[in-house]
Amino acid sequence: MIIFSERINGMYRDVRAAINDRSPAVIQDLVREQVAGGADVIDVNLGPTKGDPAQNFLWLAQTIRQVSDKPLSLDSAKPDLLAEVVPKVKQALPDVKLVINSCTAAPESMAKLIPVAAANQAGIIGLTMDQEGVPGNVEKRVECGAAFLMAALEAGIAPEDIYIDPIILPVNVAPKQPANVMEAIRQLATASDPPPHFILGLSNVSQKCLMNRLLNRTYLVMAIAAGLDAAIMDAADKELVEAAITAEVLLEKCLYSDDYIKAWRMQKGI
Amino acid sequence: MIIPESKEKWSGRVNPMTLGATPAEGGTRGRTVTIGGASGIPFLSFDGETPHPPALALDVLDKAPSGWPKPLEDVYGDVWSDPAAWACRAKELGADLINLRLVGTHPDEGDRSPQQAVETVKAVLEAVDLPLIIWGCDVPAKDQQVMPKVAEAAQGENCLLGAVTESEYRTLTAAAQAYGHKLIAMSPCDINKAKQVNILVSDMGFPLTNIVIYPSTASLGYGMDYIYSILERGRLAALSGDRLMAQPVLLDVGYEAWRAKEARSEEAAWGPLDYRGPTWEAVTATDLLQGGADLLILRHPKALQAVRTTISQLVAGAAR
Repeated sequence: MIIFSERINGMYRDVRAAINDRSPAVIQDLVREQVAGGADVIDVNLGPTKGDPAQNFLWLAQTIRQVSDKPLSLDSAKPDLLAEVVPKVKQALPDVKLVINSCTAAPESMAKLIPVAAANQAGIIGLTMDQEGVPGNVEKRVECGAAFLMAALEAGIAPEDIYIDPIILPVNVAPKQPANVMEAIRQLATASDPPPHFILGLSNVSQKCLMNRLLNRTYLVMAIAAGLDAAIMDAADKELVEAAITAEVLLEKCLYSDDYIKAWRMQKGI
Repeated sequence: MIIPESKEKWSGRVNPMTLGATPAEGGTRGRTVTIGGASGIPFLSFDGETPHPPALALDVLDKAPSGWPKPLEDVYGDVWSDPAAWACRAKELGADLINLRLVGTHPDEGDRSPQQAVETVKAVLEAVDLPLIIWGCDVPAKDQQVMPKVAEAAQGENCLLGAVTESEYRTLTAAAQAYGHKLIAMSPCDINKAKQVNILVSDMGFPLTNIVIYPSTASLGYGMDYIYSILERGRLAALSGDRLMAQPVLLDVGYEAWRAKEARSEEAAWGPLDYRGPTWEAVTATDLLQGGADLLILRHPKALQAVRTTISQLVAGAAR
Protein backbone atom coordinates (compact mmCIF):
# COMPACT_ATOMS: atom_id res chain seq x y z
CA MET A 1 0.00 0.00 0.00
CA ILE A 2 1.41 3.34 -1.06
CA ILE A 3 0.09 5.98 1.30
CA PHE A 4 -0.10 9.52 -0.07
CA SER A 5 -0.57 11.95 2.80
CA GLU A 6 -3.59 14.20 2.18
CA ARG A 7 -2.83 16.57 5.01
CA ILE A 8 -0.68 19.24 3.31
CA ASN A 9 -3.66 20.83 1.62
CA GLY A 10 -4.64 24.51 1.69
CA MET A 11 -8.24 23.46 2.22
CA TYR A 12 -7.21 22.88 5.83
CA ARG A 13 -7.19 26.22 7.65
CA ASP A 14 -3.94 25.57 9.53
CA VAL A 15 -2.11 24.71 6.31
CA ARG A 16 -3.58 27.65 4.43
CA ALA A 17 -2.52 30.07 7.17
CA ALA A 18 0.95 28.52 7.29
CA ILE A 19 1.40 28.96 3.53
CA ASN A 20 0.10 32.51 3.58
CA ASP A 21 2.29 33.45 6.57
CA ARG A 22 5.31 31.37 5.44
CA SER A 23 5.49 29.60 8.81
CA PRO A 24 7.32 26.32 8.26
CA ALA A 25 6.79 24.79 11.72
CA VAL A 26 3.10 24.00 11.16
CA ILE A 27 3.84 22.27 7.85
CA GLN A 28 6.86 20.39 9.19
CA ASP A 29 5.01 19.11 12.26
CA LEU A 30 2.23 17.80 10.04
CA VAL A 31 4.70 16.11 7.71
CA ARG A 32 6.48 14.44 10.64
CA GLU A 33 3.14 13.22 11.96
CA GLN A 34 2.10 11.86 8.57
CA VAL A 35 5.44 10.10 8.01
CA ALA A 36 5.29 8.63 11.52
CA GLY A 37 1.84 7.29 10.64
CA GLY A 38 3.15 5.58 7.52
CA ALA A 39 2.98 8.13 4.67
CA ASP A 40 5.13 7.15 1.66
CA VAL A 41 4.43 10.22 -0.44
CA ILE A 42 3.45 13.74 0.65
CA ASP A 43 0.69 15.17 -1.49
CA VAL A 44 0.88 18.96 -1.71
CA ASN A 45 -2.23 20.94 -2.61
CA LEU A 46 -2.35 24.73 -2.26
CA GLY A 47 -6.09 25.12 -1.96
CA PRO A 48 -7.29 28.73 -1.91
CA THR A 49 -4.03 30.33 -0.84
CA LYS A 50 -2.78 33.81 -1.65
CA GLY A 51 0.19 34.80 -3.80
CA ASP A 52 2.00 33.22 -6.73
CA PRO A 53 1.07 29.51 -6.77
CA ALA A 54 4.41 28.45 -8.27
CA GLN A 55 6.26 30.22 -5.46
CA ASN A 56 3.92 28.65 -2.91
CA PHE A 57 4.62 25.16 -4.28
CA LEU A 58 8.35 25.79 -4.25
CA TRP A 59 8.28 27.07 -0.68
CA LEU A 60 6.22 24.08 0.47
CA ALA A 61 8.47 21.59 -1.28
CA GLN A 62 11.60 23.09 0.29
CA THR A 63 9.93 23.34 3.70
CA ILE A 64 8.90 19.67 3.56
CA ARG A 65 12.32 18.58 2.26
CA GLN A 66 13.92 19.93 5.45
CA VAL A 67 12.17 17.23 7.50
CA SER A 68 11.53 14.42 5.02
CA ASP A 69 13.02 12.96 1.86
CA LYS A 70 9.72 11.31 0.85
CA PRO A 71 8.49 11.81 -2.71
CA LEU A 72 6.20 14.80 -3.25
CA SER A 73 2.95 14.64 -5.17
CA LEU A 74 2.21 18.08 -6.62
CA ASP A 75 -1.55 18.37 -6.63
CA SER A 76 -3.44 20.83 -8.80
CA ALA A 77 -6.34 20.75 -11.25
CA LYS A 78 -4.49 23.26 -13.47
CA PRO A 79 -2.29 21.54 -16.08
CA ASP A 80 -0.47 24.77 -16.97
CA LEU A 81 0.49 25.35 -13.37
CA LEU A 82 1.77 21.78 -12.96
CA ALA A 83 3.74 22.02 -16.20
CA GLU A 84 5.40 25.15 -14.83
CA VAL A 85 5.94 23.96 -11.27
CA VAL A 86 7.23 20.40 -11.73
CA PRO A 87 10.48 21.35 -13.53
CA LYS A 88 11.05 24.19 -11.05
CA VAL A 89 10.70 21.94 -8.02
CA LYS A 90 12.83 19.26 -9.69
CA GLN A 91 15.54 21.84 -10.35
CA ALA A 92 15.45 23.11 -6.77
CA LEU A 93 15.32 19.60 -5.23
CA PRO A 94 16.88 17.24 -7.78
CA ASP A 95 17.02 14.26 -5.38
CA VAL A 96 13.30 14.33 -4.55
CA LYS A 97 10.99 12.05 -6.54
CA LEU A 98 7.92 13.88 -7.82
CA VAL A 99 4.45 12.71 -8.77
CA ILE A 100 2.16 14.82 -10.96
CA ASN A 101 -1.35 14.92 -9.50
CA SER A 102 -3.11 14.98 -11.82
CA CYS A 103 -3.68 14.61 -15.53
CA THR A 104 -6.99 13.75 -17.21
CA ALA A 105 -7.57 11.59 -20.28
CA ALA A 106 -8.47 14.73 -22.29
CA PRO A 107 -5.98 14.88 -25.19
CA GLU A 108 -4.71 18.38 -24.39
CA SER A 109 -4.15 17.49 -20.72
CA MET A 110 -2.16 14.36 -21.64
CA ALA A 111 -0.21 16.21 -24.33
CA LYS A 112 0.78 18.82 -21.76
CA LEU A 113 1.61 16.74 -18.69
CA ILE A 114 2.85 13.30 -19.80
CA PRO A 115 5.99 14.78 -21.43
CA VAL A 116 6.63 16.76 -18.23
CA ALA A 117 6.49 13.53 -16.21
CA ALA A 118 8.82 11.80 -18.67
CA ALA A 119 11.31 14.69 -18.70
CA ASN A 120 11.46 14.90 -14.91
CA GLN A 121 11.40 11.15 -14.12
CA ALA A 122 8.18 11.87 -12.24
CA GLY A 123 5.24 9.63 -11.49
CA ILE A 124 1.89 10.73 -12.87
CA ILE A 125 -1.69 10.24 -11.73
CA GLY A 126 -4.25 9.92 -14.51
CA LEU A 127 -7.89 10.63 -13.70
CA THR A 128 -10.43 8.49 -15.54
CA MET A 129 -12.24 11.51 -16.96
CA ASP A 130 -11.92 13.64 -20.06
CA GLN A 131 -13.21 17.01 -21.27
CA GLU A 132 -16.77 15.76 -20.72
CA GLY A 133 -16.31 15.39 -16.97
CA VAL A 134 -16.46 12.52 -14.46
CA PRO A 135 -18.13 9.42 -15.97
CA GLY A 136 -21.19 8.05 -14.23
CA ASN A 137 -20.54 4.51 -15.40
CA VAL A 138 -17.83 1.86 -15.44
CA GLU A 139 -17.28 1.74 -19.22
CA LYS A 140 -16.24 5.37 -19.63
CA ARG A 141 -13.91 5.11 -16.64
CA VAL A 142 -12.22 2.08 -18.18
CA GLU A 143 -12.02 3.82 -21.57
CA CYS A 144 -10.39 6.93 -20.07
CA GLY A 145 -8.08 4.90 -17.84
CA ALA A 146 -6.93 2.74 -20.76
CA ALA A 147 -6.35 5.82 -22.96
CA PHE A 148 -4.21 7.44 -20.26
CA LEU A 149 -2.31 4.22 -19.56
CA MET A 150 -1.49 3.71 -23.24
CA ALA A 151 -0.34 7.31 -23.68
CA ALA A 152 1.87 7.17 -20.58
CA LEU A 153 3.43 3.82 -21.55
CA GLU A 154 4.05 5.08 -25.08
CA ALA A 155 5.87 8.10 -23.66
CA GLY A 156 8.23 5.68 -21.92
CA ILE A 157 6.92 6.10 -18.38
CA ALA A 158 7.48 2.93 -16.33
CA PRO A 159 4.35 1.12 -15.07
CA GLU A 160 5.47 1.68 -11.48
CA ASP A 161 5.34 5.45 -12.09
CA ILE A 162 1.80 5.37 -13.51
CA TYR A 163 -1.18 5.80 -11.19
CA ILE A 164 -4.78 5.57 -12.35
CA ASP A 165 -7.37 7.38 -10.26
CA PRO A 166 -10.92 6.20 -11.09
CA ILE A 167 -12.36 9.17 -9.14
CA ILE A 168 -14.51 8.42 -6.13
CA LEU A 169 -17.45 10.73 -5.48
CA PRO A 170 -19.29 11.24 -2.17
CA VAL A 171 -21.58 8.33 -1.37
CA ASN A 172 -24.33 10.68 -0.18
CA VAL A 173 -24.66 12.27 -3.63
CA ALA A 174 -23.47 9.48 -5.95
CA PRO A 175 -24.40 6.19 -4.29
CA LYS A 176 -23.62 3.98 -7.32
CA GLN A 177 -20.10 5.27 -7.76
CA PRO A 178 -18.25 3.32 -5.04
CA ALA A 179 -19.19 0.03 -6.72
CA ASN A 180 -18.47 1.45 -10.20
CA VAL A 181 -15.00 2.56 -9.14
CA MET A 182 -14.19 -0.90 -7.83
CA GLU A 183 -15.37 -2.55 -11.03
CA ALA A 184 -13.32 -0.10 -13.11
CA ILE A 185 -10.21 -1.00 -11.11
CA ARG A 186 -10.85 -4.73 -11.64
CA GLN A 187 -11.18 -4.26 -15.38
CA LEU A 188 -8.21 -1.92 -15.77
CA ALA A 189 -5.96 -4.15 -13.69
CA THR A 190 -6.07 -6.79 -16.42
CA ALA A 191 -5.23 -4.29 -19.19
CA SER A 192 -1.49 -4.21 -18.58
CA ASP A 193 1.15 -6.54 -17.20
CA PRO A 194 2.68 -5.38 -14.95
CA PRO A 195 -0.35 -3.28 -14.01
CA PRO A 196 -0.09 0.40 -13.08
CA HIS A 197 -0.96 1.58 -9.58
CA PHE A 198 -4.56 2.40 -8.68
CA ILE A 199 -5.14 5.35 -6.41
CA LEU A 200 -8.10 7.22 -4.92
CA GLY A 201 -8.59 10.48 -3.10
CA LEU A 202 -10.18 8.45 -0.35
CA SER A 203 -11.78 11.13 1.83
CA ASN A 204 -13.95 12.20 -1.08
CA VAL A 205 -16.15 9.15 -0.55
CA SER A 206 -17.34 10.51 2.78
CA GLN A 207 -17.45 14.24 2.12
CA LYS A 208 -20.06 15.92 4.30
CA CYS A 209 -21.04 12.55 5.77
CA LEU A 210 -21.46 12.20 9.51
CA MET A 211 -19.68 8.83 9.80
CA ASN A 212 -16.81 9.89 7.58
CA ARG A 213 -14.00 7.95 9.24
CA LEU A 214 -15.94 4.70 9.25
CA LEU A 215 -16.89 5.21 5.60
CA ASN A 216 -13.27 5.92 4.62
CA ARG A 217 -12.00 2.88 6.46
CA THR A 218 -14.61 0.50 5.11
CA TYR A 219 -14.32 1.72 1.55
CA LEU A 220 -10.53 1.60 1.60
CA VAL A 221 -10.65 -2.09 2.55
CA MET A 222 -13.23 -2.81 -0.17
CA ALA A 223 -11.21 -0.95 -2.80
CA ILE A 224 -8.00 -2.75 -1.80
CA ALA A 225 -9.83 -6.02 -2.38
CA ALA A 226 -10.67 -4.76 -5.89
CA GLY A 227 -7.02 -3.96 -6.62
CA LEU A 228 -6.37 -0.51 -5.15
CA ASP A 229 -2.74 -0.23 -4.02
CA ALA A 230 -2.40 3.49 -3.27
CA ALA A 231 -4.58 6.13 -1.63
CA ILE A 232 -4.44 9.81 -0.82
CA MET A 233 -5.52 9.65 2.81
CA ASP A 234 -4.83 10.72 6.37
CA ALA A 235 -1.78 8.69 7.41
CA ALA A 236 -2.28 9.88 10.99
CA ASP A 237 -5.60 8.02 11.18
CA LYS A 238 -4.27 4.91 12.92
CA GLU A 239 -7.41 2.82 12.50
CA LEU A 240 -7.51 3.63 8.79
CA VAL A 241 -3.87 2.69 8.23
CA GLU A 242 -4.20 -0.50 10.26
CA ALA A 243 -7.33 -1.52 8.34
CA ALA A 244 -5.34 -1.15 5.09
CA ILE A 245 -2.45 -3.23 6.43
CA THR A 246 -4.88 -5.89 7.59
CA ALA A 247 -6.61 -5.99 4.22
CA GLU A 248 -3.25 -6.55 2.54
CA VAL A 249 -2.39 -9.36 4.95
CA LEU A 250 -5.76 -10.99 4.23
CA LEU A 251 -5.02 -10.78 0.50
CA GLU A 252 -1.57 -12.30 1.18
CA LYS A 253 0.15 -9.24 -0.22
CA CYS A 254 2.39 -9.64 2.80
CA LEU A 255 3.07 -12.57 5.05
CA TYR A 256 1.04 -12.90 8.26
CA SER A 257 2.66 -12.97 11.68
CA ASP A 258 1.01 -12.32 15.05
CA ASP A 259 2.66 -8.90 15.18
CA TYR A 260 1.98 -8.02 11.54
CA ILE A 261 1.19 -4.37 12.33
CA LYS A 262 4.49 -4.02 14.16
CA ALA A 263 6.23 -5.85 11.30
CA TRP A 264 4.81 -3.32 8.84
CA ARG A 265 6.04 -0.42 10.97
CA MET A 266 9.48 -2.01 11.42
CA GLN A 267 9.87 -2.36 7.68
CA LYS A 268 9.02 1.29 7.22
CA GLY A 269 11.39 2.28 10.00
CA ILE A 270 8.62 4.07 11.92
CA MET B 1 6.22 -14.52 -32.55
CA ILE B 2 7.80 -12.61 -29.71
CA ILE B 3 8.48 -14.72 -26.64
CA PRO B 4 7.52 -12.68 -23.60
CA GLU B 5 10.20 -11.84 -21.06
CA SER B 6 9.68 -14.24 -18.15
CA LYS B 7 12.28 -12.74 -15.84
CA GLU B 8 10.78 -11.53 -12.58
CA LYS B 9 11.68 -8.11 -11.25
CA TRP B 10 12.41 -8.62 -7.55
CA SER B 11 12.61 -5.74 -5.12
CA GLY B 12 14.36 -7.65 -2.33
CA ARG B 13 17.23 -10.05 -1.81
CA VAL B 14 18.36 -12.50 0.85
CA ASN B 15 20.68 -10.89 3.38
CA PRO B 16 24.28 -11.92 2.94
CA MET B 17 25.87 -13.15 6.18
CA THR B 18 29.48 -13.95 7.02
CA LEU B 19 30.26 -16.52 9.71
CA GLY B 20 33.59 -16.90 11.47
CA ALA B 21 36.31 -14.31 11.95
CA THR B 22 39.97 -14.40 10.89
CA PRO B 23 42.73 -12.95 13.11
CA ALA B 24 42.42 -9.69 11.16
CA GLU B 25 38.74 -9.60 12.15
CA GLY B 26 39.31 -10.39 15.82
CA GLY B 27 38.95 -14.17 15.69
CA THR B 28 41.17 -17.16 15.05
CA ARG B 29 39.47 -18.81 12.05
CA GLY B 30 41.51 -19.70 8.98
CA ARG B 31 38.73 -18.39 6.75
CA THR B 32 35.18 -17.12 6.92
CA VAL B 33 32.10 -18.44 5.14
CA THR B 34 29.54 -16.13 3.56
CA ILE B 35 26.02 -17.33 2.83
CA GLY B 36 22.87 -15.70 1.41
CA GLY B 37 22.76 -12.72 -0.93
CA ALA B 38 20.53 -14.36 -3.56
CA SER B 39 18.54 -11.89 -5.66
CA GLY B 40 16.33 -14.39 -7.49
CA ILE B 41 14.74 -17.83 -7.42
CA PRO B 42 17.29 -20.51 -6.44
CA PHE B 43 19.54 -21.61 -9.29
CA LEU B 44 17.72 -19.60 -12.00
CA SER B 45 20.76 -17.67 -13.14
CA PHE B 46 18.68 -15.51 -15.51
CA ASP B 47 16.37 -14.50 -12.65
CA GLY B 48 18.95 -13.20 -10.23
CA GLU B 49 22.38 -13.79 -8.74
CA THR B 50 23.51 -16.48 -6.33
CA PRO B 51 26.65 -14.70 -5.11
CA HIS B 52 27.27 -17.26 -2.36
CA PRO B 53 26.42 -20.89 -3.07
CA PRO B 54 24.87 -22.86 -0.20
CA ALA B 55 27.41 -23.80 2.48
CA LEU B 56 27.71 -27.26 4.02
CA ALA B 57 28.41 -28.03 7.67
CA LEU B 58 29.13 -31.43 9.20
CA ASP B 59 27.83 -32.54 12.58
CA VAL B 60 30.06 -32.92 15.63
CA LEU B 61 28.63 -33.93 19.02
CA ASP B 62 30.15 -33.27 22.44
CA LYS B 63 29.76 -36.94 23.37
CA ALA B 64 29.77 -40.23 21.54
CA PRO B 65 26.36 -40.54 19.84
CA SER B 66 24.03 -43.39 20.57
CA GLY B 67 22.05 -45.07 17.87
CA TRP B 68 23.90 -43.73 14.83
CA PRO B 69 23.74 -46.27 12.01
CA LYS B 70 26.78 -48.16 10.81
CA PRO B 71 27.65 -46.00 7.76
CA LEU B 72 28.18 -43.06 10.11
CA GLU B 73 30.00 -45.16 12.70
CA ASP B 74 32.37 -46.35 9.96
CA VAL B 75 33.35 -42.75 9.24
CA TYR B 76 33.41 -41.25 12.75
CA GLY B 77 33.44 -44.16 15.22
CA ASP B 78 37.17 -43.92 15.94
CA VAL B 79 37.00 -40.18 16.80
CA TRP B 80 33.51 -39.55 18.13
CA SER B 81 34.38 -39.72 21.79
CA ASP B 82 36.70 -36.71 21.24
CA PRO B 83 34.92 -33.64 19.77
CA ALA B 84 38.22 -31.98 18.75
CA ALA B 85 39.37 -35.06 16.82
CA TRP B 86 35.89 -35.40 15.34
CA ALA B 87 35.96 -31.77 14.18
CA CYS B 88 39.34 -32.40 12.49
CA ARG B 89 37.81 -35.38 10.68
CA ALA B 90 34.89 -33.21 9.54
CA LYS B 91 37.31 -30.67 8.14
CA GLU B 92 39.30 -33.35 6.31
CA LEU B 93 36.05 -34.61 4.81
CA GLY B 94 35.34 -31.21 3.26
CA ALA B 95 33.03 -29.36 5.67
CA ASP B 96 32.75 -25.57 5.27
CA LEU B 97 31.70 -25.21 8.90
CA ILE B 98 31.57 -27.35 12.04
CA ASN B 99 28.11 -27.87 13.53
CA LEU B 100 28.75 -28.51 17.23
CA ARG B 101 25.84 -29.86 19.25
CA LEU B 102 26.19 -29.71 23.04
CA VAL B 103 23.82 -32.65 23.51
CA GLY B 104 25.84 -33.86 26.50
CA THR B 105 24.60 -30.89 28.52
CA HIS B 106 21.08 -32.37 28.41
CA PRO B 107 19.98 -33.37 31.93
CA ASP B 108 19.26 -36.90 30.68
CA GLU B 109 22.30 -37.20 28.42
CA GLY B 110 25.10 -36.63 30.90
CA ASP B 111 24.13 -33.23 32.29
CA ARG B 112 27.51 -31.74 31.48
CA SER B 113 28.14 -28.42 33.19
CA PRO B 114 28.43 -25.01 31.50
CA GLN B 115 32.17 -25.14 32.26
CA GLN B 116 32.52 -28.52 30.54
CA ALA B 117 30.62 -27.14 27.55
CA VAL B 118 32.99 -24.18 27.40
CA GLU B 119 35.98 -26.54 27.43
CA THR B 120 34.52 -28.51 24.53
CA VAL B 121 33.94 -25.36 22.51
CA LYS B 122 37.47 -24.12 23.19
CA ALA B 123 38.94 -27.49 22.24
CA VAL B 124 37.06 -27.52 18.95
CA LEU B 125 38.02 -23.91 18.21
CA GLU B 126 41.65 -24.84 18.78
CA ALA B 127 41.56 -28.05 16.79
CA VAL B 128 40.02 -26.66 13.58
CA ASP B 129 40.01 -23.22 12.02
CA LEU B 130 36.55 -23.47 10.41
CA PRO B 131 33.63 -21.25 11.52
CA LEU B 132 31.35 -22.82 14.13
CA ILE B 133 27.64 -23.35 14.56
CA ILE B 134 26.88 -24.14 18.22
CA TRP B 135 23.61 -25.53 19.60
CA GLY B 136 22.56 -26.18 23.17
CA CYS B 137 20.60 -29.25 24.21
CA ASP B 138 17.12 -27.84 23.54
CA VAL B 139 16.17 -27.75 27.23
CA PRO B 140 15.58 -24.02 27.75
CA ALA B 141 16.44 -23.95 31.46
CA LYS B 142 19.78 -25.67 30.83
CA ASP B 143 20.56 -23.76 27.64
CA GLN B 144 20.10 -20.52 29.55
CA GLN B 145 22.96 -21.55 31.84
CA VAL B 146 25.20 -23.01 29.17
CA MET B 147 24.86 -20.82 26.09
CA PRO B 148 25.82 -17.43 27.61
CA LYS B 149 29.05 -19.02 28.90
CA VAL B 150 29.71 -20.60 25.54
CA ALA B 151 29.00 -17.32 23.76
CA GLU B 152 31.45 -15.55 26.05
CA ALA B 153 34.16 -18.19 25.57
CA ALA B 154 33.82 -17.89 21.78
CA GLN B 155 33.79 -14.09 21.79
CA GLY B 156 35.29 -12.68 18.60
CA GLU B 157 34.78 -15.90 16.61
CA ASN B 158 31.48 -14.77 15.04
CA CYS B 159 29.73 -18.10 15.58
CA LEU B 160 26.14 -19.01 14.73
CA LEU B 161 24.25 -19.84 17.95
CA GLY B 162 21.08 -21.88 18.19
CA ALA B 163 18.32 -21.58 18.71
CA VAL B 164 15.82 -18.91 19.73
CA THR B 165 12.09 -19.62 19.51
CA GLU B 166 8.93 -17.58 19.92
CA SER B 167 8.76 -18.48 23.61
CA GLU B 168 12.49 -18.64 24.49
CA TYR B 169 14.59 -15.94 22.94
CA ARG B 170 15.72 -13.37 25.47
CA THR B 171 18.76 -15.02 27.05
CA LEU B 172 20.35 -16.31 23.87
CA THR B 173 19.63 -13.09 21.98
CA ALA B 174 21.28 -11.06 24.74
CA ALA B 175 24.29 -13.42 24.75
CA ALA B 176 24.70 -13.26 20.96
CA GLN B 177 24.37 -9.48 21.11
CA ALA B 178 26.90 -9.11 23.92
CA TYR B 179 29.58 -11.37 22.43
CA GLY B 180 29.16 -10.66 18.74
CA HIS B 181 27.58 -13.84 17.39
CA LYS B 182 24.84 -14.60 14.89
CA LEU B 183 21.54 -16.27 15.85
CA ILE B 184 19.44 -19.18 14.62
CA ALA B 185 15.71 -18.36 14.86
CA MET B 186 13.69 -21.56 14.97
CA SER B 187 10.03 -21.89 13.95
CA PRO B 188 8.99 -25.52 13.53
CA CYS B 189 7.16 -25.84 10.23
CA ASP B 190 5.33 -22.51 10.61
CA ILE B 191 6.20 -19.61 8.35
CA ASN B 192 4.11 -17.10 10.32
CA LYS B 193 6.13 -17.98 13.42
CA ALA B 194 9.34 -17.58 11.44
CA LYS B 195 8.40 -13.97 10.85
CA GLN B 196 7.16 -13.54 14.42
CA VAL B 197 10.43 -14.77 16.00
CA ASN B 198 12.33 -12.31 13.84
CA ILE B 199 10.06 -9.49 15.00
CA LEU B 200 10.59 -10.43 18.66
CA VAL B 201 14.36 -10.76 18.37
CA SER B 202 14.64 -7.57 16.33
CA ASP B 203 12.53 -5.78 18.94
CA MET B 204 15.33 -6.45 21.45
CA GLY B 205 17.64 -4.44 19.24
CA PHE B 206 19.27 -7.45 17.58
CA PRO B 207 19.99 -6.74 13.88
CA LEU B 208 17.79 -8.57 11.37
CA THR B 209 20.92 -9.09 9.27
CA ASN B 210 22.44 -11.28 12.01
CA ILE B 211 19.61 -13.84 12.04
CA VAL B 212 19.32 -17.16 10.20
CA ILE B 213 15.87 -18.71 9.77
CA TYR B 214 15.61 -22.36 10.79
CA PRO B 215 12.14 -23.56 9.71
CA SER B 216 12.91 -27.08 11.01
CA THR B 217 13.53 -29.85 8.48
CA ALA B 218 11.78 -32.97 7.26
CA SER B 219 13.31 -35.85 5.38
CA LEU B 220 12.36 -37.30 2.04
CA GLY B 221 9.31 -39.45 2.68
CA TYR B 222 8.51 -37.76 6.01
CA GLY B 223 6.81 -34.51 5.13
CA MET B 224 9.61 -32.90 3.15
CA ASP B 225 6.99 -31.18 0.98
CA TYR B 226 5.73 -29.16 3.97
CA ILE B 227 9.17 -27.72 4.56
CA TYR B 228 9.66 -27.23 0.85
CA SER B 229 6.56 -25.04 0.56
CA ILE B 230 7.68 -23.03 3.59
CA LEU B 231 11.07 -22.46 1.99
CA GLU B 232 9.43 -21.43 -1.25
CA ARG B 233 6.96 -19.04 0.35
CA GLY B 234 9.64 -17.52 2.56
CA ARG B 235 12.00 -16.97 -0.34
CA LEU B 236 9.26 -15.28 -2.39
CA ALA B 237 8.55 -12.99 0.58
CA ALA B 238 12.25 -12.14 0.85
CA LEU B 239 12.55 -11.40 -2.85
CA SER B 240 9.38 -9.30 -2.71
CA GLY B 241 11.03 -7.04 -0.17
CA ASP B 242 9.84 -8.41 3.20
CA ARG B 243 12.88 -7.58 5.34
CA LEU B 244 11.58 -9.75 8.17
CA MET B 245 11.87 -12.78 5.88
CA ALA B 246 15.11 -11.84 4.10
CA GLN B 247 17.30 -13.96 6.36
CA PRO B 248 19.36 -16.86 5.03
CA VAL B 249 17.85 -20.27 5.79
CA LEU B 250 19.46 -23.16 7.67
CA LEU B 251 18.33 -26.78 7.34
CA ASP B 252 19.31 -29.70 9.57
CA VAL B 253 19.29 -32.36 6.89
CA GLY B 254 21.65 -34.99 8.33
CA TYR B 255 19.77 -35.38 11.59
CA GLU B 256 16.41 -35.77 9.85
CA ALA B 257 17.54 -37.96 6.95
CA TRP B 258 19.26 -40.48 9.22
CA ARG B 259 16.10 -40.85 11.32
CA ALA B 260 14.26 -42.25 8.29
CA LYS B 261 13.96 -46.04 8.33
CA GLU B 262 15.03 -46.06 4.69
CA ALA B 263 18.39 -44.64 5.80
CA ARG B 264 18.79 -46.95 8.81
CA SER B 265 17.27 -50.34 8.13
CA GLU B 266 19.66 -53.25 7.76
CA GLU B 267 17.08 -54.91 5.46
CA ALA B 268 19.29 -56.40 2.74
CA ALA B 269 16.54 -56.41 0.12
CA TRP B 270 16.57 -52.58 0.22
CA GLY B 271 20.13 -52.48 -1.04
CA PRO B 272 23.41 -51.85 0.74
CA LEU B 273 23.02 -49.45 3.67
CA ASP B 274 26.32 -47.66 3.11
CA TYR B 275 24.96 -46.52 -0.24
CA ARG B 276 21.30 -46.17 0.69
CA GLY B 277 21.84 -44.02 3.81
CA PRO B 278 24.05 -41.34 2.25
CA THR B 279 21.80 -41.31 -0.82
CA TRP B 280 18.73 -40.64 1.33
CA GLU B 281 20.58 -37.75 2.94
CA ALA B 282 21.87 -36.36 -0.37
CA VAL B 283 18.49 -36.55 -2.09
CA THR B 284 16.76 -34.82 0.82
CA ALA B 285 19.38 -32.07 0.72
CA THR B 286 19.36 -31.47 -3.02
CA ASP B 287 15.55 -31.41 -3.14
CA LEU B 288 15.29 -28.88 -0.33
CA LEU B 289 17.98 -26.68 -1.88
CA GLN B 290 15.58 -25.96 -4.75
CA GLY B 291 13.15 -24.34 -2.31
CA GLY B 292 15.74 -21.85 -1.12
CA ALA B 293 18.26 -22.81 1.58
CA ASP B 294 21.65 -21.30 2.32
CA LEU B 295 23.27 -23.50 4.94
CA LEU B 296 22.85 -27.26 5.29
CA ILE B 297 23.94 -29.43 8.19
CA LEU B 298 24.91 -32.86 6.94
CA ARG B 299 26.42 -36.04 8.39
CA HIS B 300 27.86 -38.42 5.81
CA PRO B 301 30.84 -37.36 3.63
CA LYS B 302 29.37 -39.11 0.57
CA ALA B 303 26.22 -37.03 0.95
CA LEU B 304 28.36 -33.91 1.35
CA GLN B 305 30.27 -34.69 -1.83
CA ALA B 306 27.09 -35.43 -3.79
CA VAL B 307 25.43 -32.19 -2.65
CA ARG B 308 28.61 -30.23 -3.39
CA THR B 309 28.69 -31.65 -6.92
CA THR B 310 25.05 -30.76 -7.49
CA ILE B 311 25.59 -27.20 -6.26
CA SER B 312 28.62 -26.74 -8.51
CA GLN B 313 26.55 -27.89 -11.48
CA LEU B 314 23.78 -25.45 -10.64
CA VAL B 315 25.82 -22.37 -9.71
CA ALA B 316 28.57 -21.17 -12.01
CA GLY B 317 31.82 -20.74 -10.09
CA ALA B 318 30.38 -22.32 -6.95
CA ALA B 319 33.58 -23.91 -5.66
CA ARG B 320 34.26 -23.05 -2.04
